[in-house]
Amino acid sequence: MEPIIYPSCSASECTSLGSNAPIWQDILAQAVTGELLAAMNYTSLSEIARDPRELADALEHAQGERGHAAAFAAEGCKIGVDVGNNVEGKHWKRLREAFLGCSKKRDFFGCLIVQEIMLESFAVASYARVAKVAPGSLGATFARIAAEEEDHVDHAMAILRAERDLDAERFDDKVHRLHLDVMTTLAKMLAKECKDGHCEVCHGSCVKPALFEVSLSAAALRGASLQQYLKTLDRLGLPGEVTLRWVTQLPV
Amino acid sequence: MGDAVASLARPARPYEMDFALVGHQESWRAASDVLAVLRGPKHAPLPDHEIKDIFPWIPPRAVCQVEVRSLAGAKARGVYIDSFIPPDRLEARYVHENLARVRAAAAYAIEAGAKIVSLGGFSSILIEGNLGQLPAGPGTVFTTGNTLTVAFIVQGIKKMCALKGRNLRRSTLLIVGATGDVGSGCARCLAPIVRRVLLNARNVERLEKLAAELEADGVEAEVATDPERFSGEADLVVCAASLASPSLLLGRIAPDAIVCDAGYPKNLSQSAKLPLATVFFGGLGQITAGMSFSPDFRGVLNRHPFPDVAHGCLLEGMALALEGRFEPFSQGRGGITPKRVQEIAATARRHGIYLAPLYNADGPVEVGLDRTSGPEHLGADDCAVAV
Repeated sequence: MEPIIYPSCSASECTSLGSNAPIWQDILAQAVTGELLAAMNYTSLSEIARDPRELADALEHAQGERGHAAAFAAEGCKIGVDVGNNVEGKHWKRLREAFLGCSKKRDFFGCLIVQEIMLESFAVASYARVAKVAPGSLGATFARIAAEEEDHVDHAMAILRAERDLDAERFDDKVHRLHLDVMTTLAKMLAKECKDGHCEVCHGSCVKPALFEVSLSAAALRGASLQQYLKTLDRLGLPGEVTLRWVTQLPV
Repeated sequence: MGDAVASLARPARPYEMDFALVGHQESWRAASDVLAVLRGPKHAPLPDHEIKDIFPWIPPRAVCQVEVRSLAGAKARGVYIDSFIPPDRLEARYVHENLARVRAAAAYAIEAGAKIVSLGGFSSILIEGNLGQLPAGPGTVFTTGNTLTVAFIVQGIKKMCALKGRNLRRSTLLIVGATGDVGSGCARCLAPIVRRVLLNARNVERLEKLAAELEADGVEAEVATDPERFSGEADLVVCAASLASPSLLLGRIAPDAIVCDAGYPKNLSQSAKLPLATVFFGGLGQITAGMSFSPDFRGVLNRHPFPDVAHGCLLEGMALALEGRFEPFSQGRGGITPKRVQEIAATARRHGIYLAPLYNADGPVEVGLDRTSGPEHLGADDCAVAV
């Protein structure tokens, strides 16, 4: 597991969010975990880079994701909560395994599809949604990181579109295979209820039923994420009627 | 939703795309059925509350390919694009969101390479007849499809009057939603052939303008924004209002009135008390040479008790595609004339697209027809009802 350096926070920096602080604590824990997982994925990607530029890009992105994790942890300090993380939590672990499945096969494009198309769609949409309701610097941090993650997607888009142009059918089949694994896991994560038990990231009971207290909901986070995913697949050039079927078949 | 328009890019289809149909679902039951087909038989249907959570987030996109055949032997291929407007968000307060969805659906049709795009249901109402609000694409034209809708409403009224032995020339006609594109088109076609005309709509200025236009042609019309205020009782009613849900009660009409509900969503409230009236759904046509969907959305996208039935607004685009006539035939509010109605009805007829068998929520309303009846049960005279 990638280490995270918790910022030292002083009491004077703390802004109390009262009874909502534990909710933000869990939201931040999920965000930190996702960023650490992304950093690990980019580090793994650097190991199969095909040229120095890809290597440099992967390492730079890994560093960026660690910075995002640290920024979210720092926001936790500001509101007086310790932000945990657990990349071994059941869903995140499954997502990491899906990525490793590609990197072990030295499937560079498979890695990009998992990280940039699927995981980043989820990050961009959910962070943007959280940014709209999170107070003060917490909201600003979510908004800034959502924008930076979107840049990652843009960066990967050109590479993936060029690859798809070579053989669209083969490319789309690959996306579908990865979709069945990765997006099924994400859909379970984003379901209104955790039917498979505790996610192992929230510090107490599942945060999702309490999200309405900070003007969020699991349904809206899931909807926004899947909408972002569909739009990203549109940009890649996959037929919209096909990707719509994929998404409607995901578990709820 | 708006950024979906700019982000669309997809490969050219392996065949020419003649038409696109832009539509939306009028009820949650219909939306649920669409999602059930998309999920396929291996996946359990989604519970209603999940559908209501998911549906609003789906960006406009094609849900299936459509092929339509002509009696003259021609074929046209296209797509059905759903704007995924949630059925409970058709009210005015969602107009900006819904307009963005219609624009995104239009952009999708352009990207798909459709030569003509029909705007079904609320799609054309939302742009208020201003097709200029839609994105422009070289080689793609838009039609509201309302002229063929008017043709089928008028044909339906005439047919039902004939079936009931009612003399049109002695009838008092009420048009609800008279100033809209469809309502005003119906007024121009029907007013000259009835005894008395009552026009109802929300905008009094538009009502008076339409009445003045009809009076210039020798037809006297009463206007009222409240249908209860007319001096006479209508025995022939066309409901063509843009209502977000079925809510029309029709208190002051003749007990045995003929009522054509041409709304999408339907206009008439379920609590409307019209026990002796004959109600039918208007504006529907039937493709006698057939149409097919891939995946198979038969009976889901066209939820009618007869096969190959669709709304006139969508059929207009298909008829024009079969004709190879890719032009913005119906362009918006108030431009539908009897001459244009006759022209599009004749075009549709050439390809075997006729008035659909008449039915209402309880089933077929024509004597001797039941739910298994298809186009072969229609007599030639029924199909050829002239405007």
